[in-house]
Amino acid sequence: MKIFQVALGILTAIGGFVDIGDLVTNGLVGARYGLSLAWATVLGTVGICLYAEMSGRVAAVTGRGTFDLVRERLGPRAGLANLIASFLVTGLTLAAEIGGVALALELATSVNYLLWVPLVAFFLWLLIWRVKFSYLENGAGLLGLALLAFGFALWKLHPDYGSLVHQVVAPHKPGTERLNSYFYYAIALFGAAMTPYEVFFFSSGGVEEKWTRKDLMVERANVLIGFPLGAMLSLSIAACATLVLKPRGIEVSTLGQIGLPVAFAAGKVAIAFLILGFVAATFGAALETGLSCGYSIAQYFGWQWGKFVKPREASRFHLVVLLSLIGAAGLVLTTIDPVKITEYSVVFSAVALPLTYFPILVISNDPDYMGDKKNGRVMNFGATVFLVIIVVASVAAIPLMIWTRAGQ
Amino acid sequence: MSESARGRVLDVNLHLLDRQIVDRDGEFVAKVDDLEFERGADGTLYIAKIMVGSRALGPRLRGRLGVWMRSIGERLSTDAIPTIDFALVTDIGSEVKVSATRDDLDAAPLEGWVRDHVISRIPGSRHAGE
Repeated sequence: MKIFQVALGILTAIGGFVDIGDLVTNGLVGARYGLSLAWATVLGTVGICLYAEMSGRVAAVTGRGTFDLVRERLGPRAGLANLIASFLVTGLTLAAEIGGVALALELATSVNYLLWVPLVAFFLWLLIWRVKFSYLENGAGLLGLALLAFGFALWKLHPDYGSLVHQVVAPHKPGTERLNSYFYYAIALFGAAMTPYEVFFFSSGGVEEKWTRKDLMVERANVLIGFPLGAMLSLSIAACATLVLKPRGIEVSTLGQIGLPVAFAAGKVAIAFLILGFVAATFGAALETGLSCGYSIAQYFGWQWGKFVKPREASRFHLVVLLSLIGAAGLVLTTIDPVKITEYSVVFSAVALPLTYFPILVISNDPDYMGDKKNGRVMNFGATVFLVIIVVASVAAIPLMIWTRAGQ
Repeated sequence: MSESARGRVLDVNLHLLDRQIVDRDGEFVAKVDDLEFERGADGTLYIAKIMVGSRALGPRLRGRLGVWMRSIGERLSTDAIPTIDFALVTDIGSEVKVSATRDDLDAAPLEGWVRDHVISRIPGSRHAGE
């Protein structure tokens, strides 16, 4: 039974790792820079593993979600400023995910994505309203595995693996590109891999599933095996774009272009899987971000939250989720390009990272809360190094965005 | 006050303020937004009540955010600020446990209003996820 639980956790972690931010950023960067920026994805993955492990452990030991503790540690004022920033970034990510689902459905049906947006938003709400938490998480995660079509396409392309690995381990900025844009996209990839909502969701999900100290093994397996394998999937998206789009000078500006290498290399059945994977990955992430909007506000104010109680027992939480979905769908319906929303959402995620990650590091070191499960020295060393990187990325993001005119 | 909460030395800022209040059944009630002290016969201060809601939290936030939070609270309700008698507290740990139920405490009028006027009107609000 335990083995089954661990395996399921790992599979859903792989399928759930990739969201619209990873899809768009990896496709876009792969087509433009090849794998010379893969180090940023690798770096971001190590970071999310460290911090998701900490937040999951805090949730398992204390039964408290991340934002609950953010306010306790930062105080109500800094906590509120943090809440506002994190909520806006998560809401923007939610809009990007809803747009992503709608674009994927447009690929499958040729019906304009704007017509899909209200339906997608309604269906998201209905699932959050009615379906048990574990089914939501496992369902979306398992279907998201259809994105392995990228891995299959990569294999079918018969690449020179030596040269791909060389690009990863010995990064070299393509000569024609400017250095400031190069680092702008490094931050975008970093933000896409470490998106703050993943931590709110992971820790709140632990509370939803009533994790205790006994579940720490499952939690660690999810993070330390599932996330890196999910990141391999992200890298295969970039590798496909490197091999097919970059030599042809195709610049990615639509979701369809990101899937083009799969169509090119692996044929019809792979396209069917790919579109299923697009829908599942973005829909799953929309569920996670939608819930995270509710989790963060409810946890700050101490409201009842979660899907482990009836909706009427957590009425303000469900109202926030409902309004967030309406707001995010409304933003997409303004016809702002969802791919553009995604590009901005990953950079703003990078800006907001320290707000979420610093309090987690503090709490997971607090013996009052954590007892014998507080951070060890190795963990603290790694996490502190990452905190420095996160702060640098956060501070540099907006100036670089202005300087490069968002990477142009 | 029960045995476990009596006579413990607490740093109010560190161990009490902003903690989650959980009721007898494990449901979340509110945060410890502020505290009301009273002076005993011998002149020592003790905690009489936990104050909850945005009108309690607002004044603790300096600056414009605090003013906003307080004014929003004042527009939503003209009743007295909801409080929880500190004698109901049974344990202070990573959460503050109280011996009453959420409904008895009635510390979050807005929760009840949203439940009655919005959430209960949507079909399926009485069913946990399936």
